[in-house]
This record gives sequence, structure tokens and C-alpha cells, in this order.
Amino acid sequence: MRDSTLKKVWIYFLLTVTSFLVFFPVLYAFMISFMSGPEILQGRFFPEAFNFDNYAKVFDRLPLLKYLLNSFIVSLSVMVGQLAVCSLAAYAFVFIPFKGRDLVFFLFISTMMIPWEATMIPNFFTIQKLDWLNTYQGMSLPFFALAFGTFLLRQHFKTIPKELQEASQIAGLSRFAFFWKVILPVSKTSLVTLGAYGFLTTWNMYLWPLLITTNSSVRTVQIGLKQLQSQEISTDWGVVMAGVIVVIIPTLLLLFIGQKQLQKGLSQGALK
Amino acid sequence: MTTVRAPGIWKRSANLRVGFLYLLPSIILFAVFLFYPMIRTIYLSFFLTDQNGNAAVNVGFENYSYLLTSPAFLNSMKATGLFVLYTVPIGIILSLFFALLANEKLKGIGFFRTMYSSTMGISVAASSVIWLFLFHPSVGVFNRILLVLDFPQIQWLLDPEWALISIAISTIWMNTGFSFLILLGGLQNIDEHLYESSRIDGAGYFYRLRRITIPMLSPTLFFIITISLINAFQTFGQIDILTKGGPSQSTNLIVYSIYREAFINYQFGTASAQAVILFVIILVVTILQFKLVERKVHYQ
Amino acid sequence: MKLMLLFLTVLSLAVLAACTNSDSSTKDEENKGEDTKGEATKTEDGKVSIEFWHAMSGTGQTSLDEIVANFNESQDKYEVKAEFQGTYEESLTKLRSVGGTKDAPAITQVFEIGTKYMIDSGYIEPIQKFIDKNNFNADELEQNILNYYKVDDELYSMPFNSSTPVMIYNKDAFKEAGLDPEKAPETFAEVINSAEKLTKGEMYGFSMLTYGWFFEQLLATQGGDYVNENNGRTGDATEAAFNSDEGRLVFRTLDTMNKAKTFGNFGTNWDDIRAAFASEKVAMYLDSSAGVAGAIDTAPFEVGVAYIPHADEVKRNGVVIGGASLWMSKGIAEEEQEAAWEFMKYLTTPEVQAKWHLDTGYFAINPKAYDEENVKEKWAEFPQYKVTVDQLQDTVPGYATQGALISVFPESRQQIVTALEDMYQGKDPAEALEQAAEGTNRAIEVANKTKK
Repeated sequence: MRDSTLKKVWIYFLLTVTSFLVFFPVLYAFMISFMSGPEILQGRFFPEAFNFDNYAKVFDRLPLLKYLLNSFIVSLSVMVGQLAVCSLAAYAFVFIPFKGRDLVFFLFISTMMIPWEATMIPNFFTIQKLDWLNTYQGMSLPFFALAFGTFLLRQHFKTIPKELQEASQIAGLSRFAFFWKVILPVSKTSLVTLGAYGFLTTWNMYLWPLLITTNSSVRTVQIGLKQLQSQEISTDWGVVMAGVIVVIIPTLLLLFIGQKQLQKGLSQGALK
Repeated sequence: MTTVRAPGIWKRSANLRVGFLYLLPSIILFAVFLFYPMIRTIYLSFFLTDQNGNAAVNVGFENYSYLLTSPAFLNSMKATGLFVLYTVPIGIILSLFFALLANEKLKGIGFFRTMYSSTMGISVAASSVIWLFLFHPSVGVFNRILLVLDFPQIQWLLDPEWALISIAISTIWMNTGFSFLILLGGLQNIDEHLYESSRIDGAGYFYRLRRITIPMLSPTLFFIITISLINAFQTFGQIDILTKGGPSQSTNLIVYSIYREAFINYQFGTASAQAVILFVIILVVTILQFKLVERKVHYQ
Repeated sequence: MKLMLLFLTVLSLAVLAACTNSDSSTKDEENKGEDTKGEATKTEDGKVSIEFWHAMSGTGQTSLDEIVANFNESQDKYEVKAEFQGTYEESLTKLRSVGGTKDAPAITQVFEIGTKYMIDSGYIEPIQKFIDKNNFNADELEQNILNYYKVDDELYSMPFNSSTPVMIYNKDAFKEAGLDPEKAPETFAEVINSAEKLTKGEMYGFSMLTYGWFFEQLLATQGGDYVNENNGRTGDATEAAFNSDEGRLVFRTLDTMNKAKTFGNFGTNWDDIRAAFASEKVAMYLDSSAGVAGAIDTAPFEVGVAYIPHADEVKRNGVVIGGASLWMSKGIAEEEQEAAWEFMKYLTTPEVQAKWHLDTGYFAINPKAYDEENVKEKWAEFPQYKVTVDQLQDTVPGYATQGALISVFPESRQQIVTALEDMYQGKDPAEALEQAAEGTNRAIEVANKTKK
């Protein structure tokens, strides 16, 4: 019995230390966001006082609420789009045997290896020709198909017993009904994971949203973050850090709330 | 819908047609936004481009031969290789360690899980700004700590010996959240009964880890290794913000070099050739990955 | 199967909906595109509306937004929309992609080293045309700034945010080291000497941002050209000229201090070197004139500002302008060009320039701004400001100080950065410089090969 208490203490110790280390940079940014310029240069960790000047400045300088809203719209559309497109593809790769399937799958996987920076400029021209500059679909549609997502779901679908398919065929379910009513519900875990991934990566994109927008009507928060930093004139780091905090709070909250949901999904994901 | 062994070609290709239908949305999007630009990239890699980025002079394989003999590009390849070696194994082992810790059934574990996964919620742009401060030569926390402990100061981002390592440290931090979440999901999916029966046999923790956990986790591990590899090859944001490829080109990874060639020097020809080379490298690595490793992966 | 089709239909409908939806929301913008070049975009109340692309972030953007808002209020014919487009490089990449199309803005801010590219691009209308047409008196603007943007006596773009390098130093540290805090070292040799005396404990004597611009300045003040064909001013440059005796002297000077451990390397980031100065890790360093205000504000000691050092053997030639200028697009409606011109004129007024100078620390392109009350007050408070203007006005006009014109300047600057970094790591200075010259030559050669 004492053995297991000792083990618990040991685990709690490890948990506390490592999670503190992981979270430290965020804490540090939080502290800096309350400091004034000279205070930052003294290299302190705790601010003299928690004043919200920097936050006031951030909201004063940028239409941050609009940027946040835009980020939400774009991230949500990409999330939904990815879930639909990728789950369809992954289903085909696992449950519909056809000739050349592995080849097509490999072709899909190979798209992951295409460096995005290399495709960015041709894609810019495509979006421009479609007249999608400064639009939400220009920002989100190119990311609907995702080899990574297909791969993730395929890995999960593969762990679903094949007997389930046979049983559903006997029960007279159509292929799509099987996909919709059986596969998707048992794959909640992976769908939630992919959804979170899609949302967060889109939330975090910078170069593409900047390239295809020429005004602030549909711009996202990451661009706002860049706008707070000057190039030749001195940067007001306290304000930038306040911006960083404002930008990461929604996603952290989402993770925090989503954590429970994710946990539920994860435990339900066990099929047995 | 059941597959009947009928002779007609139409019937026999039913699966192909249906499968194609399911894949159609992906295929269209890939074709427009990935394959077309990639083909264009390959095409441009045989040209020198003019100031507006159009193909101007056909130079055959000259861009390639120039790159493969250019010390700067060879250095980029080396830096990229080192970077992958630094970040992938350590990142995965660390995340696995966190996931194993967080998989214990203890009070308040949800809090720790949120902490571990938190870095996933922080954009590369935001985290790079934070790390810029942590690494700061004069006011950064790391050097402050070294000063207090009376160690010599390290020029984290300014010393070519350290810059790549510093970038690797920040990258590992940025990626742990995601790897952690995926691995935790994998761990949770392992059947409890497997552990129970081994506990009766009196097997120790590490024995169980080696004999049950790792094999059962192998599909997830395989997945995360593949993704981490590819992501490591394509690291861009933190380099742009932290070092811009310097000092002395030590952090000029291939992707950053492509960006610089295309966006700053406006040489699409050489930028494209670099992109093609990078693509081939990742392709080879991934094929090896699939050929050598997937065989060992244990699917139920 | 039916369900599947339904699903696909819904999916495609959703995509379609997204498209049509936005089509209506961006209607105003599209009208602009379909219009012929003769008609301008107008706001609802009939004002001519133009876009102004800039790369000003942080403090610069705040000030610029205010100036634009003031302009829009000052009259009722035109409306300028200032839009941030990322860094200078990102903004230029975008401009290259939309140049000559309906998505191009009426005014674009381009960094000084993009001048040659812009002239050759064919997307722009030289400002000279409007100066001549409207009998605008360009003589009252700062000549040493105009010189940079003039090619064959024709002004191509309207100078905007302009800066020059200065040497900023810690007066308290000078006193402690037994140096005269009112007299900063003037020549390379003096700098080397003082740096040695100033280096103490954690403080380095001298530093310079690892940025090609500073090398160009130290070269120009000796009268050295950056590229051949008189710095590209009398013809298209074909090769680098910076690997001359003058260039080697700059490298050698830095190398001497670096080897003597009196030179602190603080990298390529403006804010890092400034933080090092403010936290007393370096006693003298080269900064942009736009950084003077920040340095005085944040430093907990007395700050001095001086001319950049020059070679011992030759007279001081002065400095080259840095920063960016505003370019007018070609192929847009005449009314839009008029609007753009009115806005540019507004920017050159003393009041606006005074505000810009005080907010950002960039020069006033109209020297009359320095007579404005608010500027005088500030100067009385910070006499260091005056040094930056004096240095600019003392500059001897010539090819060297006019600045180089090459289309591959960004790439060449990168080569210099690498050369400096290599040298700080122990590479032979002459060899490092030679390598940068070779890299530049190749870039120029490739660029000339693809020119139509």
C-alpha cells in the first residue's frame, strides 16, 4: 500500500514539474504583457503592477474583435469542410476495395510532402482568377482536402473490425448509411481530434491569409499580431505580448473546454 | 449492394466507381490546389524566371546542377537533416512520456492534460514571439538563469553552433501539445484487460510498457512519426521570426531557403528546383517509413 | 447510395452558397474591376476612393492611419484607404502578382532598394509627370532625400519614410572610461580605440546590426560605389563594386574589433541590439535615425548621438537615405491618379511631416517641418535629433551617397549579412567579402539574362 502512495507522490511530482515547464513560456508572456518598456528591459519576471495599459493599446490600435470573428469563421469552415471531405476519402480507402487503391492512397499521402511555400504563388493566381481575393472561401477552401486528415481517419477506421461491415450488409444498410450511421459515430475520437487540429492550424495560419487579403475586411488575428511589431522603429514589446495573450486565449479556452469533450470522445472511442 | 461475382465490366467496376465518388471532393481540391501548382513548380524548375515570375530562359537541368554544387544549398540540406534528427525523436519521446504520465488515473489529471496540450493552441507566430524573448541575449530568461547559476552566457540565436539547437528546442515545445494529444488518444484506446491479465502474471511496469503498451500503440506511433517527420521538413514560421535563416546560414532550412528565393529574390526557377528536391527527399523518407516501419505496426 | 448523393449535393451546395454569398458581399470591389480604365471607384457619397498599400506596422501604422484619416476629413473629393500588406518583401510580392490588374492599388509604399525594380516593372507612372503638370515646387523638399529617388533627373516616386544611420552612444560609459562624452569618435581608428577603452565586464565597446544597409553606409561615406556603372546610376549595373579597398576596409575594421573582443554581435534584429544598448551590454552602436527617440526613452543613462564614423584617409562623404517611397500605379483611372497625387501632396506639407517626424522619428521630407512649433519644442528637449538632420544635410552629393540602383538589391544585402556573420565566426574578412561579391554578381547576371 505504501508502495502505491509513494508511486502516486512521485507521479504527481513529475506531472507538476513537467507541466510547469511546458506552460512556463505562456506564463512568461502573460507577465510581460503587463510590463512597461523599461521594465521589460530590466529582464524581470514579475511586473511591478498589473496594469492593463498594453491591452487597452492593443484594442485601440487594431480592430481585434473583427479579426477574432474572422478567424472563427475561417477556422470553423475549414474544420467542417475537412471533416466532410477527409472522412469520405478515408472511408473509401478502408472499406471500398478497388484496384489501384493503394496507389491512389500513396498519391494522397504524397501531397503532404509538397512544401506549401512552393505552391503558394501559383495558388495565389488561381484565387485571383476565381476572384476570391478578400473572401472567406479563398481563405478556407484550399484547405478542405487534407492528406493528413485522411491518413488520421484511415488509421482509425482500420482498427474497426471488418465484421461490423458484414453485419451491416446483412442488416441491409446501404454503403453510405453504414458510413453515416456506424462508422462516423464509432470514430468520434478521431473526428474530434481532426476537428481540433483543423480548427487550430487554420487559426494559426499567417502567410496565406496575408497574401490573399488586401484589406482588413476578412483578415485574421495572426496578421494583427504581425501588425503590432515594427520593423525599423522600436517595437513596443509589452503591447505585442498583450496581443499574443489576446490571440491565444480563445484557442486555450477552446482546448480547456474541449478537453472534457475530447476525453469523453477518447474513452468512447474504445470499441470493445 | 453486395458484391456478386457477375461477369459484366460495369458490375465489376462498381467498387471503383463508388470509391471514386467518395474520393471525388478530395481529388478535385488536390488537383486544383496541390497537383497543378506542383506541376507548375516542376515546369518552372527548368527555367530562369523574369522579374514578374514568368518562365523566361529554358536552362534544362542547370538550376539543379547549380544547387547540388552550391555550398549554400548543401548547407541547407545538412541543416534540414540535422533539424529533423534533433526534433523528431526527442519530440516524440517527450510527448510519449507526458502521455504516459497523463494516462494515470489520478485526481485532477484533466488539469495536467490541459497543460500538456496547451502548446497546440498557440500559433507559431505567437509562440515564436515568446521564444524570441526567452532566448533574448540581454534580457531573456534563459540567460538570466544562467547568470544566476554562474554559468557562461549562451548566444542562443546568434551563435551558429547554438541557433539550430535553439530553434529545435522551440519547435519541440510547439509540437508536443499535438503529439501528446494524439498519443494520449492512442493510449486510451488500449484495452484494459490486456494490462489486467499481465498484472496477474506479476509483470513490471517497463515490461508491460515494452510488451503491451508500445505494440498496441504502434499504429498511433507510426502515424505521429510520419506526421512529425513531414512537419519537421517543412518548418517555416519560427525560422522566419527567430533567425531569418542566420547566423551564417546555420538555420537556413530548405523551406526557408525556398521562401527567400521566391519571395525576396524572386527567382522562381531556383526556388522551384529547391522545392522539387525537397519533395523528393520527403518522398523517399516517407516511402522508407512505410516500407520498413508499417510492417511492424500492429493493427487489430 | 441515395444518402451518399444527398450528402454530396449538400456539400457542393454549401460550397456554392459560400461563393455566391461572398459575391454579393464583395460587389463594390468587383465593380471596380469590370469598369474600364476611364472610370474611378467611388464611394456612396460620390468621393473618388483609392487604395494605399503600405508596410508600416506598430507605431508607424498608428501614425499613418491618423494622417490618412486627417486627409479624408480635410476635403470631400477623395477618400484614401490605407491597407497594411505585411513586410516590404511580402507587400512587393503581392504587388508583383497584381501589378497592372484591377487589384492593384493606386499608391504603393516600396522600400528604397526596390526602386530599380519598380522603374523597370512598367506598372508605375513617374511622379515627375505630376510635378511638371501641376507646377509643384519640389525644390522645397529635402534634396538629399530626393536624390535617391531621382534617375536621370526625373523623380520616380514620392519619398516618404526616410532614415539614415547614426551612431548612438552611452555618455555615462564614456565618462567612466575617461573619454569625452561630448565628442564621439569620428574615424574608424578612433572607434577602434574608444571601443577598447569602453569594453569592460559585460559591456562591449561597439556594435552594429548585422544588416547590409550599415555596410552600404560605411562604404558610401568613403565615396565607394556599391556596383559598377556609377552605382547603376548611369546604366544597368553588371557587377558588384563593393569588394574594393573601401569595402575591405569596412570589413577589416569590424574584424579588428571582433578579434579584440571589443565588438558585440547582437544579430540581425533591430530590437535585440537596442535592448543590448539599453541594458548596458554595448556602449556605442550604429542605429537608424528612426530609432533615436526609442533609445533615449528607454535608456536609464544619458544618450549621445553622433555622425557615423568615416575612414581616416578620406573626407566624410555622408550618408545614403534608407526607408521607403510612394509609387503611383499606371493604368488606373485619371481621377484616381489625381486622388493619389493630392494625397501625396498632402503628405509633403510641413504640418503632416512634423507629425510624422515626431511620431516615428523618420525624417521630414519637407525641411520646413522643422520650423513647426511642436518640432522645435521636441528638439529643445532632445537636441540629439538635430544631429541626424545635420548629418543628412552635410552629405556631399555624388554617386556614392545617391545610393546604388540594382534590381537584385534584397538578395545582395543577404549576401552581405552572410559574409559579416561568417567573418564574426572567424572567416578571413577579404574572403568573406569576395564571396558576397560573387553571390551578387551571379544574381545580377541571372536578372540581366531574363530581362526582356
